[in-house]
Amino acid sequence: MAGEKTIVCRCEEVTLETIVDTIEQYSCSSREVKLRTRAGMGYCGGRTCRNVIDRIVAATNGEPIKDELQLSYRSPIRPATFEVLGGGHENES
Amino acid sequence: MKVWNLLIVGAGPAGLNAAIAAAGEGLKVKIIDEFNRIGGRLLGQLHQEPNGEWWNGIDVANRLHEKAITLGVKIESGVSVYDLEQSEFGWKVYTSEGMEKTEKLLLATGATEVPTPIPGWTIPGVMSIGAAQVMGNVHRVKPGNTCVIIGANVLSIAIANELRLCGVEVKEIVISQPNSSLTHSGTPEKVMESLLQLTHLAPSVLLRQAGRVAKYIHPSLAVKFYPKNGMNILDIPIKIKTAATEIIGDKKVKGVKTVNIRSNGEIIPNTERITEADFVCIAGGLAPLPELAALTSCEFKFVHELGGHIPLHSERMETNEPNLFVAGNITGVESAKVAMAQGTVAGLTIASEIKGNKKHSDSAIEEALLTVRKEREEALIQFQPNIARARELIYQQFELDWKAESPKRSIS
Repeated sequence: MAGEKTIVCRCEEVTLETIVDTIEQYSCSSREVKLRTRAGMGYCGGRTCRNVIDRIVAATNGEPIKDELQLSYRSPIRPATFEVLGGGHENES
Repeated sequence: MKVWNLLIVGAGPAGLNAAIAAAGEGLKVKIIDEFNRIGGRLLGQLHQEPNGEWWNGIDVANRLHEKAITLGVKIESGVSVYDLEQSEFGWKVYTSEGMEKTEKLLLATGATEVPTPIPGWTIPGVMSIGAAQVMGNVHRVKPGNTCVIIGANVLSIAIANELRLCGVEVKEIVISQPNSSLTHSGTPEKVMESLLQLTHLAPSVLLRQAGRVAKYIHPSLAVKFYPKNGMNILDIPIKIKTAATEIIGDKKVKGVKTVNIRSNGEIIPNTERITEADFVCIAGGLAPLPELAALTSCEFKFVHELGGHIPLHSERMETNEPNLFVAGNITGVESAKVAMAQGTVAGLTIASEIKGNKKHSDSAIEEALLTVRKEREEALIQFQPNIARARELIYQQFELDWKAESPKRSIS
């Protein structure tokens, strides 16, 4: 399959080939794939590709997807301005 | 600053019905939704029920919206939640419009689409099937004149018909690359298996016939006799023995390169061809959207039948996190009617906790639970087989982990 032409993480332009090679070389988890390749680390916060990364890792390692979330979510889970983060709206509501 | 009895994130079928149930019991309720219109995925839905009646999601959404407002529910759209925090009164919910305080928090955030990456899927003109649905049914914008859909599943067939009603020529529905780690749908045999789950309700006599036959024969045989050129449902050819290998185009989509494949997914040599289209939809299926629950110490389970990772929860929609509840597709991908019924359960459960009138509420909750089971059984769209069984296991696991005195055990 054309793994070198298939982009998985659009934000960081990480290909399927890079991800599969990384998993095979280090027999690693989704989190390790993210740290090594930056897949899922881009602007969208992995919202597009995180489920795909989990599936590739599970299929390549030949094991089921684990119950624990493999790629963590951290606040803020949506883009937020400094004003909002600083509580700028708080007195209004 | 006001403390709500209940704050709901997500104004889709589950969130709206939960608000209606809770406000009906006298709770002060607020709903917030990220989208600029109320109704969630209901807004995109338009299909014919087996009894011939049309399910118009926009009408349903408007009806629920009005009912909630009549009951005094405060509803805000275009507001995103970016963080949550436990507090002495319940929850602090941080939104793009400031912080909200609430005793109980219900996450009804629905599901997200899972793409099937294939070479060329980043070319402009390629979109998820849900995006095409929103363009057509919500924004009233025709995404293009001709289209190819990659991924043959319940959702893609339903939306293909909606696109047809928008005046789009859906040239074909093909499957995504077989034997790839990227897709759960896999070989034609697997695709057939899942499509057969819905044939008794399918909108086409032809597929219904196939379904009837397939009750007696194995899906592998059904695939064997599945015509190479596909079967037409409402003039849309569904080709489960044709797989997309690449989307072509430079600055704009030109078409999809496909090959014919055998039942086991093997590519048949020299069958490559190109179907031209001015937009391409990828239908990779849905997965629950658990991000807000993931900011808490909520326990998660991966359940294939329910579409992915879900917060562990009881049948009454409680999570292990105090004052945190879930309803709708965040608990597993199912139809809007199931989500609505789950919303009612969650709203009543929460009202019961706040009001403390167990006797009165228990019978109402029991009745609501029956409705969930009934809707599940009668669901027009079954996203995966064995949903009911998978749900039972989740409820049992919750009881074991969080209700029983005994230490944690695992159900496998």
